[in-house]
Amino acid sequence: MTKLEAKNIVKYFKHDSHRLKALGGVNLQIEDGEFVCLVGPSGCGKSTFLRIVAGLETPDEGEILFDGKPVTTTGPERIMVFQEGALFPWLKVQDNVEFGLKMAGIPKDERAQISKRYLDMMQLTKFADSYTYQLSTGMKQRVAIARALVMDPDVLLMDEPFAALDAQTRDLLLVEMQLIWEKTKKTILFVTHNVTEATVLGTKVAVFSNRPSVIKKIINVDYKRPRLVEDQNLFPLQQEILSELRPEVKKN
Amino acid sequence: MKKNTLAKQIIFYVALVAVWQIVSMTNVWPNNLFPSPYDVAEDLVYTASDGSLFFGIATSLLRLIIGLTIAIIGGMLLGIFMARVEIVNQTIGSLVLGLQSIPSVAWVPLAILWFGLTDGGIIFVTAIGSMFAVTIATYTGVKNINPHYIEAARNMGAKGTQLSIYVLIPAAFPYLISGFKQGWAFAWRGVIGAELLFSFLGLGFLLNVGRQLNDISQVFAIMLVIMMVGIAIDGIIFKRIENKVMSRWGLR
Repeated sequence: MTKLEAKNIVKYFKHDSHRLKALGGVNLQIEDGEFVCLVGPSGCGKSTFLRIVAGLETPDEGEILFDGKPVTTTGPERIMVFQEGALFPWLKVQDNVEFGLKMAGIPKDERAQISKRYLDMMQLTKFADSYTYQLSTGMKQRVAIARALVMDPDVLLMDEPFAALDAQTRDLLLVEMQLIWEKTKKTILFVTHNVTEATVLGTKVAVFSNRPSVIKKIINVDYKRPRLVEDQNLFPLQQEILSELRPEVKKN
Repeated sequence: MKKNTLAKQIIFYVALVAVWQIVSMTNVWPNNLFPSPYDVAEDLVYTASDGSLFFGIATSLLRLIIGLTIAIIGGMLLGIFMARVEIVNQTIGSLVLGLQSIPSVAWVPLAILWFGLTDGGIIFVTAIGSMFAVTIATYTGVKNINPHYIEAARNMGAKGTQLSIYVLIPAAFPYLISGFKQGWAFAWRGVIGAELLFSFLGLGFLLNVGRQLNDISQVFAIMLVIMMVGIAIDGIIFKRIENKVMSRWGLR
Protein backbone atom coordinates (compact mmCIF):
# COMPACT_ATOMS: atom_id res chain seq x y z
CA MET A 1 0.00 0.00 0.00
CA THR A 2 1.32 3.45 -0.86
CA LYS A 3 1.85 5.46 2.29
CA LEU A 4 3.33 8.62 0.85
CA GLU A 5 3.48 10.00 -2.61
CA ALA A 6 5.32 13.07 -3.78
CA LYS A 7 3.94 14.41 -7.03
CA ASN A 8 6.10 16.80 -9.00
CA ILE A 9 7.26 18.83 -6.00
CA VAL A 10 8.74 22.17 -7.03
CA LYS A 11 10.20 24.63 -4.54
CA TYR A 12 11.97 27.94 -5.02
CA PHE A 13 14.38 29.48 -2.54
CA LYS A 14 14.44 33.23 -2.18
CA HIS A 15 18.02 34.20 -2.74
CA ASP A 16 18.52 37.97 -2.33
CA SER A 17 16.36 39.36 -5.11
CA HIS A 18 16.16 36.37 -7.43
CA ARG A 19 14.48 33.03 -6.99
CA LEU A 20 16.47 29.86 -7.02
CA LYS A 21 14.77 26.68 -8.13
CA ALA A 22 15.73 24.17 -5.44
CA LEU A 23 13.39 21.31 -6.16
CA GLY A 24 12.67 20.79 -9.83
CA GLY A 25 9.80 18.34 -9.70
CA VAL A 26 10.45 15.56 -7.23
CA ASN A 27 8.44 12.39 -7.68
CA LEU A 28 8.61 9.63 -5.12
CA GLN A 29 6.36 6.83 -4.04
CA ILE A 30 6.83 5.21 -0.66
CA GLU A 31 5.12 2.02 0.40
CA ASP A 32 3.94 1.37 3.93
CA GLY A 33 6.82 0.18 6.10
CA GLU A 34 9.61 1.17 3.76
CA PHE A 35 12.82 2.74 5.02
CA VAL A 36 13.83 5.25 2.37
CA CYS A 37 17.08 7.15 2.59
CA LEU A 38 17.48 10.37 0.65
CA VAL A 39 21.02 11.24 -0.36
CA GLY A 40 22.21 14.13 -2.47
CA PRO A 41 24.79 16.87 -2.81
CA SER A 42 24.66 19.45 -0.04
CA GLY A 43 22.21 22.25 -0.75
CA CYS A 44 20.20 20.13 -3.17
CA GLY A 45 17.05 20.61 -1.16
CA LYS A 46 16.63 17.11 0.27
CA SER A 47 15.97 18.56 3.73
CA THR A 48 13.51 21.01 2.22
CA PHE A 49 11.76 18.08 0.59
CA LEU A 50 11.51 16.38 3.97
CA ARG A 51 10.10 19.57 5.51
CA ILE A 52 7.50 19.70 2.76
CA VAL A 53 6.50 16.11 3.53
CA ALA A 54 6.24 17.13 7.20
CA GLY A 55 3.98 20.00 6.20
CA LEU A 56 6.35 22.56 7.70
CA GLU A 57 6.79 24.15 4.28
CA THR A 58 4.50 24.32 1.30
CA PRO A 59 5.64 23.43 -2.18
CA ASP A 60 5.35 26.00 -4.97
CA GLU A 61 4.03 23.29 -7.28
CA GLY A 62 2.95 19.73 -6.83
CA GLU A 63 1.55 17.94 -3.83
CA ILE A 64 2.27 15.33 -1.21
CA LEU A 65 -0.28 12.59 -0.78
CA PHE A 66 -0.48 10.84 2.56
CA ASP A 67 -2.68 7.73 2.43
CA GLY A 68 -3.95 9.17 -0.82
CA LYS A 69 -5.01 12.49 0.71
CA PRO A 70 -3.14 15.75 0.01
CA VAL A 71 -1.06 17.12 2.88
CA THR A 72 -1.97 20.69 3.77
CA THR A 73 -0.48 21.18 7.20
CA THR A 74 1.84 19.59 9.72
CA GLY A 75 0.54 16.86 11.96
CA PRO A 76 1.53 14.12 14.38
CA GLU A 77 1.06 11.32 11.84
CA ARG A 78 4.26 12.57 10.15
CA ILE A 79 6.77 13.27 12.90
CA MET A 80 10.05 14.98 12.20
CA VAL A 81 13.34 14.30 13.99
CA PHE A 82 15.53 17.37 13.59
CA GLN A 83 19.26 17.38 12.98
CA GLU A 84 20.11 18.87 16.36
CA GLY A 85 17.17 17.24 18.06
CA ALA A 86 15.30 20.47 18.79
CA LEU A 87 14.67 19.21 22.31
CA PHE A 88 13.12 21.65 24.72
CA PRO A 89 15.74 22.75 27.27
CA TRP A 90 13.10 23.81 29.79
CA LEU A 91 11.75 20.28 30.11
CA LYS A 92 13.18 17.15 31.66
CA VAL A 93 13.89 14.23 29.34
CA GLN A 94 10.67 12.48 30.27
CA ASP A 95 8.61 15.64 29.77
CA ASN A 96 10.27 16.17 26.42
CA VAL A 97 9.30 12.66 25.40
CA GLU A 98 5.73 13.18 26.64
CA PHE A 99 5.29 16.59 25.02
CA GLY A 100 3.18 15.46 22.08
CA LEU A 101 1.01 13.28 24.30
CA LYS A 102 0.40 16.23 26.57
CA MET A 103 -0.62 18.36 23.60
CA ALA A 104 -3.05 15.61 22.64
CA GLY A 105 -4.63 15.88 26.09
CA ILE A 106 -3.61 12.44 27.32
CA PRO A 107 -3.72 12.25 31.14
CA LYS A 108 -0.51 12.20 33.15
CA ASP A 109 -0.57 8.57 34.27
CA GLU A 110 -1.18 7.30 30.80
CA ARG A 111 1.55 9.55 29.43
CA ALA A 112 4.01 8.14 31.93
CA GLN A 113 3.13 4.59 30.93
CA ILE A 114 3.63 5.27 27.24
CA SER A 115 6.81 7.27 27.65
CA LYS A 116 8.31 4.62 29.92
CA ARG A 117 8.13 2.11 27.09
CA TYR A 118 10.07 4.34 24.73
CA LEU A 119 12.50 5.57 27.35
CA ASP A 120 13.31 1.92 27.96
CA MET A 121 13.61 1.21 24.26
CA MET A 122 16.07 4.07 23.80
CA GLN A 123 17.92 3.20 27.04
CA LEU A 124 17.06 6.53 28.58
CA THR A 125 15.32 5.36 31.73
CA LYS A 126 17.95 6.59 34.11
CA PHE A 127 18.06 9.97 32.37
CA ALA A 128 14.30 10.52 32.64
CA ASP A 129 14.76 13.30 35.19
CA SER A 130 17.75 14.94 33.52
CA TYR A 131 17.64 18.19 31.62
CA THR A 132 18.88 18.17 28.06
CA TYR A 133 21.98 20.26 28.79
CA GLN A 134 23.20 17.38 30.94
CA LEU A 135 23.14 14.96 28.01
CA SER A 136 25.69 14.13 25.33
CA THR A 137 24.82 14.74 21.69
CA GLY A 138 24.14 11.05 21.21
CA MET A 139 21.81 10.92 24.20
CA LYS A 140 19.98 13.98 22.93
CA GLN A 141 19.31 12.23 19.63
CA ARG A 142 18.01 9.21 21.51
CA VAL A 143 15.59 11.50 23.31
CA ALA A 144 14.59 13.07 20.01
CA ILE A 145 13.87 9.64 18.54
CA ALA A 146 11.94 8.58 21.65
CA ARG A 147 9.94 11.81 21.50
CA ALA A 148 9.04 11.03 17.90
CA LEU A 149 8.18 7.35 18.47
CA VAL A 150 5.91 8.17 21.41
CA MET A 151 3.58 9.87 18.96
CA ASP A 152 3.21 6.53 17.17
CA PRO A 153 3.38 8.29 13.82
CA ASP A 154 2.70 6.52 10.53
CA VAL A 155 5.77 8.15 9.07
CA LEU A 156 9.01 9.11 10.73
CA LEU A 157 10.91 11.91 9.00
CA MET A 158 14.56 12.13 9.98
CA ASP A 159 16.70 15.06 8.89
CA GLU A 160 20.36 14.03 9.18
CA PRO A 161 19.81 13.04 12.81
CA PHE A 162 23.23 11.44 13.18
CA ALA A 163 25.29 14.06 11.37
CA ALA A 164 26.66 15.64 14.54
CA LEU A 165 27.54 12.40 16.31
CA ASP A 166 30.95 10.85 16.81
CA ALA A 167 31.63 7.68 14.81
CA GLN A 168 31.13 5.15 17.62
CA THR A 169 27.87 6.65 18.82
CA ARG A 170 26.62 6.85 15.26
CA ASP A 171 27.46 3.21 14.49
CA LEU A 172 25.60 2.15 17.60
CA LEU A 173 22.54 4.21 16.69
CA LEU A 174 22.62 2.89 13.12
CA VAL A 175 22.17 -0.62 14.49
CA GLU A 176 19.50 0.48 16.96
CA MET A 177 17.63 2.37 14.28
CA GLN A 178 17.35 -0.83 12.24
CA LEU A 179 16.01 -2.69 15.28
CA ILE A 180 13.50 0.08 15.95
CA TRP A 181 12.34 -0.02 12.38
CA GLU A 182 11.93 -3.80 12.47
CA LYS A 183 10.09 -3.61 15.78
CA THR A 184 7.79 -0.69 15.03
CA LYS A 185 7.20 -1.24 11.30
CA LYS A 186 7.25 2.52 10.72
CA THR A 187 7.60 4.08 7.34
CA ILE A 188 10.81 6.07 7.55
CA LEU A 189 12.19 8.84 5.38
CA PHE A 190 15.77 9.52 6.31
CA VAL A 191 17.87 12.36 4.89
CA THR A 192 21.63 11.93 5.00
CA HIS A 193 24.69 12.99 3.09
CA ASN A 194 26.46 9.81 4.18
CA VAL A 195 26.24 7.03 1.62
CA THR A 196 27.33 4.31 4.04
CA GLU A 197 24.62 5.38 6.47
CA ALA A 198 22.07 5.24 3.65
CA THR A 199 22.97 1.69 2.58
CA VAL A 200 23.07 0.44 6.16
CA LEU A 201 19.63 1.82 6.97
CA GLY A 202 17.55 1.92 3.84
CA THR A 203 15.43 -0.55 2.02
CA LYS A 204 15.76 2.00 -0.77
CA VAL A 205 18.17 4.83 -1.41
CA ALA A 206 16.88 7.76 -3.45
CA VAL A 207 19.64 9.83 -5.04
CA PHE A 208 18.91 13.52 -5.55
CA SER A 209 20.48 15.43 -8.41
CA ASN A 210 21.98 18.88 -8.07
CA ARG A 211 19.67 21.94 -8.18
CA PRO A 212 17.03 22.07 -9.45
CA SER A 213 16.81 18.68 -7.83
CA VAL A 214 14.92 15.68 -9.04
CA ILE A 215 15.31 12.12 -7.92
CA LYS A 216 17.95 10.79 -10.26
CA LYS A 217 17.92 7.19 -9.28
CA ILE A 218 16.38 4.85 -6.73
CA ILE A 219 18.53 1.96 -5.61
CA ASN A 220 17.10 -1.00 -3.74
CA VAL A 221 19.11 -2.40 -0.87
CA ASP A 222 18.23 -6.04 -0.31
CA TYR A 223 20.52 -7.29 2.37
CA LYS A 224 20.14 -9.03 5.70
CA ARG A 225 19.88 -7.02 8.91
CA PRO A 226 21.26 -5.79 11.14
CA ARG A 227 23.73 -4.36 8.71
CA LEU A 228 26.99 -3.01 10.00
CA VAL A 229 28.89 0.00 8.77
CA GLU A 230 32.00 -2.05 8.10
CA ASP A 231 30.18 -4.73 6.09
CA GLN A 232 32.16 -5.18 2.85
CA ASN A 233 29.19 -6.64 0.99
CA LEU A 234 27.50 -3.25 0.96
CA PHE A 235 30.56 -1.73 -0.68
CA PRO A 236 29.53 -2.26 -4.36
CA LEU A 237 26.18 -0.59 -3.68
CA GLN A 238 27.91 2.32 -2.01
CA GLN A 239 30.17 2.66 -5.04
CA GLU A 240 27.16 2.66 -7.30
CA ILE A 241 25.50 5.44 -5.31
CA LEU A 242 28.71 7.43 -5.18
CA SER A 243 29.12 7.17 -8.94
CA GLU A 244 25.64 8.67 -9.27
CA LEU A 245 26.40 11.40 -6.76
CA ARG A 246 29.86 12.44 -7.86
CA PRO A 247 28.89 14.26 -11.09
CA GLU A 248 26.12 16.05 -9.14
CA VAL A 249 28.48 17.29 -6.48
CA LYS A 250 30.87 18.57 -9.16
CA LYS A 251 28.09 20.63 -10.75
CA ASN A 252 27.76 22.52 -7.51
CA MET B 1 28.80 35.60 45.98
CA LYS B 2 32.48 35.02 46.54
CA LYS B 3 33.77 35.54 50.05
CA ASN B 4 36.33 37.96 48.77
CA THR B 5 33.73 40.17 47.11
CA LEU B 6 31.59 40.16 50.22
CA ALA B 7 34.55 41.24 52.35
CA LYS B 8 35.34 44.09 49.96
CA GLN B 9 31.72 45.20 50.02
CA ILE B 10 31.56 45.17 53.82
CA ILE B 11 34.73 47.25 54.02
CA PHE B 12 33.36 49.64 51.42
CA TYR B 13 30.06 50.21 53.22
CA VAL B 14 31.71 50.58 56.62
CA ALA B 15 34.09 53.14 55.12
CA LEU B 16 31.19 54.93 53.43
CA VAL B 17 29.27 55.24 56.71
CA ALA B 18 32.46 56.39 58.46
CA VAL B 19 33.11 59.09 55.87
CA TRP B 20 29.45 60.11 56.09
CA GLN B 21 29.72 60.37 59.90
CA ILE B 22 32.91 62.44 59.65
CA VAL B 23 31.45 64.78 57.04
CA SER B 24 28.33 65.33 59.13
CA MET B 25 30.48 66.02 62.24
CA THR B 26 32.49 68.71 60.44
CA ASN B 27 29.24 70.69 60.09
CA VAL B 28 30.06 71.78 56.53
CA TRP B 29 26.33 71.55 55.95
CA PRO B 30 23.90 72.20 58.78
CA ASN B 31 22.43 69.11 60.42
CA ASN B 32 18.92 69.87 59.21
CA LEU B 33 20.14 69.47 55.64
CA PHE B 34 22.66 66.69 56.07
CA PRO B 35 21.91 64.21 58.84
CA SER B 36 24.45 61.93 60.46
CA PRO B 37 24.19 58.16 60.03
CA TYR B 38 23.15 58.04 63.66
CA ASP B 39 20.21 60.42 63.06
CA VAL B 40 19.08 58.31 60.15
CA ALA B 41 19.40 55.08 62.10
CA GLU B 42 17.45 56.63 64.97
CA ASP B 43 14.71 57.66 62.60
CA LEU B 44 14.63 54.16 61.09
CA VAL B 45 14.29 52.60 64.53
CA TYR B 46 11.56 55.06 65.42
CA THR B 47 9.48 54.53 62.26
CA ALA B 48 10.06 50.81 62.55
CA SER B 49 9.00 50.66 66.18
CA ASP B 50 5.66 52.38 65.62
CA GLY B 51 5.04 50.08 62.64
CA SER B 52 4.64 52.89 60.12
CA LEU B 53 7.76 51.81 58.23
CA PHE B 54 6.62 48.23 57.73
CA PHE B 55 3.13 49.34 56.89
CA GLY B 56 4.65 51.69 54.31
CA ILE B 57 6.81 48.95 52.82
CA ALA B 58 3.90 46.53 52.73
CA THR B 59 1.61 49.09 51.08
CA SER B 60 4.15 49.96 48.42
CA LEU B 61 5.00 46.32 47.77
CA LEU B 62 1.36 45.34 47.46
CA ARG B 63 0.80 48.07 44.88
CA LEU B 64 3.98 47.00 43.13
CA ILE B 65 2.94 43.36 43.00
CA ILE B 66 -0.52 44.12 41.63
CA GLY B 67 0.79 46.62 39.10
CA LEU B 68 3.67 44.45 38.01
CA THR B 69 1.46 41.37 37.65
CA ILE B 70 -0.84 43.33 35.36
CA ALA B 71 2.19 44.62 33.46
CA ILE B 72 3.72 41.17 33.06
CA ILE B 73 0.53 39.48 31.89
CA GLY B 74 -0.47 42.33 29.61
CA GLY B 75 3.06 42.85 28.37
CA MET B 76 3.60 39.21 27.54
CA LEU B 77 0.29 38.91 25.70
CA LEU B 78 1.04 42.00 23.65
CA GLY B 79 4.63 40.90 23.03
CA ILE B 80 3.59 37.46 21.81
CA PHE B 81 1.01 38.99 19.48
CA MET B 82 3.60 41.39 18.11
CA ALA B 83 6.09 38.61 17.52
CA ARG B 84 3.66 36.19 15.92
CA VAL B 85 1.39 38.48 13.91
CA GLU B 86 3.32 40.73 11.57
CA ILE B 87 0.56 43.32 11.13
CA VAL B 88 0.30 43.80 14.90
CA ASN B 89 4.02 44.43 15.03
CA GLN B 90 3.94 46.89 12.14
CA THR B 91 1.12 48.89 13.68
CA ILE B 92 0.95 48.54 17.46
CA GLY B 93 4.68 47.82 17.61
CA SER B 94 5.65 51.38 16.73
CA LEU B 95 3.17 52.74 19.28
CA VAL B 96 4.68 50.52 21.98
CA LEU B 97 8.12 51.96 21.32
CA GLY B 98 6.68 55.45 21.76
CA LEU B 99 4.75 54.59 24.91
CA GLN B 100 7.85 52.96 26.38
CA SER B 101 9.63 56.31 26.23
CA ILE B 102 7.08 57.98 28.55
CA PRO B 103 8.44 58.10 32.13
CA SER B 104 6.00 56.52 34.59
CA VAL B 105 5.43 59.75 36.56
CA ALA B 106 4.25 61.40 33.36
CA TRP B 107 1.21 59.11 33.59
CA VAL B 108 0.32 60.55 37.03
CA PRO B 109 -1.88 63.45 35.86
CA LEU B 110 -3.83 61.07 33.64
CA ALA B 111 -4.15 58.57 36.47
CA ILE B 112 -5.49 61.24 38.84
CA LEU B 113 -8.06 62.40 36.30
CA TRP B 114 -9.16 58.86 35.46
CA PHE B 115 -8.97 57.17 38.84
CA GLY B 116 -8.88 60.01 41.34
CA LEU B 117 -6.53 59.89 44.32
CA THR B 118 -6.94 56.16 44.72
CA ASP B 119 -4.92 52.96 44.87
CA GLY B 120 -6.25 52.25 41.40
CA GLY B 121 -4.46 55.32 40.11
CA ILE B 122 -1.15 54.26 41.61
CA ILE B 123 -1.51 50.73 40.28
CA PHE B 124 -2.34 52.17 36.89
CA VAL B 125 0.85 54.24 36.88
CA THR B 126 2.88 51.23 38.05
CA ALA B 127 1.43 48.89 35.46
CA ILE B 128 1.53 51.20 32.48
CA GLY B 129 5.01 52.42 33.31
CA SER B 130 6.45 48.92 33.28
CA MET B 131 4.27 47.04 30.81
CA PHE B 132 5.99 48.09 27.62
CA ALA B 133 9.42 47.01 28.84
CA VAL B 134 7.93 43.53 29.31
CA THR B 135 6.26 43.76 25.90
CA ILE B 136 9.50 44.60 24.13
CA ALA B 137 11.46 41.87 25.95
CA THR B 138 8.75 39.31 25.14
CA TYR B 139 8.73 40.36 21.51
CA THR B 140 12.51 40.06 21.27
CA GLY B 141 12.47 36.76 23.15
CA VAL B 142 9.82 35.15 20.98
CA LYS B 143 11.50 36.42 17.82
CA ASN B 144 14.75 34.82 18.92
CA ILE B 145 13.32 31.37 19.68
CA ASN B 146 15.09 28.63 17.75
CA PRO B 147 12.55 28.10 14.94
CA HIS B 148 12.99 24.34 15.24
CA TYR B 149 11.40 24.44 18.72
CA ILE B 150 8.26 25.96 17.26
CA GLU B 151 8.26 23.64 14.27
CA ALA B 152 8.79 20.56 16.42
CA ALA B 153 5.96 21.64 18.72
CA ARG B 154 3.57 22.31 15.84
CA ASN B 155 4.59 19.02 14.30
CA MET B 156 3.62 17.29 17.56
CA GLY B 157 0.25 18.95 17.50
CA ALA B 158 0.67 22.12 19.57
CA LYS B 159 -1.19 25.17 18.37
CA GLY B 160 -2.63 28.51 19.50
CA THR B 161 -2.75 29.03 23.26
CA GLN B 162 -1.11 25.65 23.88
CA LEU B 163 1.84 26.65 21.73
CA SER B 164 2.14 29.95 23.61
CA ILE B 165 1.96 28.45 27.09
CA TYR B 166 4.05 25.33 26.56
CA VAL B 167 6.58 26.54 24.02
CA LEU B 168 6.75 30.27 23.26
CA ILE B 169 6.81 31.50 26.85
CA PRO B 170 9.26 28.91 28.23
CA ALA B 171 11.49 29.13 25.14
CA ALA B 172 11.61 32.91 25.43
CA PHE B 173 12.18 32.80 29.18
CA PRO B 174 15.82 33.91 29.19
CA TYR B 175 14.62 37.12 27.51
CA LEU B 176 11.44 37.31 29.57
CA ILE B 177 13.35 37.26 32.81
CA SER B 178 15.40 40.28 31.76
CA GLY B 179 12.14 41.90 30.70
CA PHE B 180 10.62 41.18 34.12
CA LYS B 181 13.70 42.64 35.77
CA GLN B 182 13.45 45.78 33.74
CA GLY B 183 9.69 45.85 34.28
CA TRP B 184 10.13 45.52 38.02
CA ALA B 185 12.65 48.38 38.07
CA PHE B 186 10.27 50.63 36.16
CA ALA B 187 7.38 49.51 38.36
CA TRP B 188 9.26 50.30 41.57
CA ARG B 189 10.11 53.78 40.26
CA GLY B 190 6.47 54.13 39.21
CA VAL B 191 5.04 53.18 42.62
CA ILE B 192 7.33 55.48 44.57
CA GLY B 193 6.90 58.33 42.09
CA ALA B 194 3.14 58.08 42.11
CA GLU B 195 2.97 57.75 45.91
CA LEU B 196 5.14 60.81 46.23
CA LEU B 197 2.69 62.81 44.19
CA PHE B 198 -0.68 61.54 45.35
CA SER B 199 -0.90 59.05 48.13
CA PHE B 200 -1.59 58.82 51.81
CA LEU B 201 0.25 55.59 52.35
CA GLY B 202 3.40 53.85 51.21
CA LEU B 203 7.08 54.63 51.07
CA GLY B 204 6.67 57.48 48.58
CA PHE B 205 4.18 59.07 50.93
CA LEU B 206 6.53 58.70 53.92
CA LEU B 207 9.24 60.33 51.86
CA ASN B 208 6.95 63.24 51.10
CA VAL B 209 6.01 63.54 54.77
CA GLY B 210 9.71 63.84 55.54
CA ARG B 211 9.99 66.72 53.15
CA GLN B 212 6.87 68.47 54.49
CA LEU B 213 8.09 68.18 58.08
CA ASN B 214 11.55 69.28 57.05
CA ASP B 215 12.72 66.00 58.60
CA ILE B 216 15.89 65.31 56.65
CA SER B 217 16.65 62.11 58.62
CA GLN B 218 13.36 60.64 57.55
CA VAL B 219 14.00 61.55 53.91
CA PHE B 220 17.38 59.83 54.07
CA ALA B 221 15.98 56.88 55.96
CA ILE B 222 13.13 56.24 53.53
CA MET B 223 15.44 56.58 50.53
CA LEU B 224 17.69 53.98 52.11
CA VAL B 225 14.73 51.68 52.60
CA ILE B 226 13.61 52.14 48.99
CA MET B 227 17.09 51.21 47.86
CA MET B 228 17.33 48.22 50.17
CA VAL B 229 13.97 46.83 49.11
CA GLY B 230 15.23 47.16 45.55
CA ILE B 231 18.43 45.30 46.30
CA ALA B 232 16.53 42.60 48.16
CA ILE B 233 14.03 41.96 45.37
CA ASP B 234 16.74 41.98 42.72
CA GLY B 235 19.06 39.75 44.69
CA ILE B 236 16.57 37.35 46.24
CA ILE B 237 13.93 36.92 43.60
CA PHE B 238 15.38 37.76 40.22
CA LYS B 239 18.91 36.55 40.75
CA ARG B 240 17.60 33.13 41.76
CA ILE B 241 15.22 32.76 38.86
CA GLU B 242 17.91 33.96 36.51
CA ASN B 243 20.50 31.50 37.80
CA LYS B 244 18.08 28.64 37.51
CA VAL B 245 17.00 29.59 34.02
CA MET B 246 20.53 30.16 32.79
CA SER B 247 21.80 26.77 33.92
CA ARG B 248 18.64 24.98 32.76
CA TRP B 249 18.89 26.46 29.29
CA GLY B 250 22.56 25.51 29.22
CA LEU B 251 23.60 29.14 28.93
CA ARG B 252 26.16 28.82 31.66
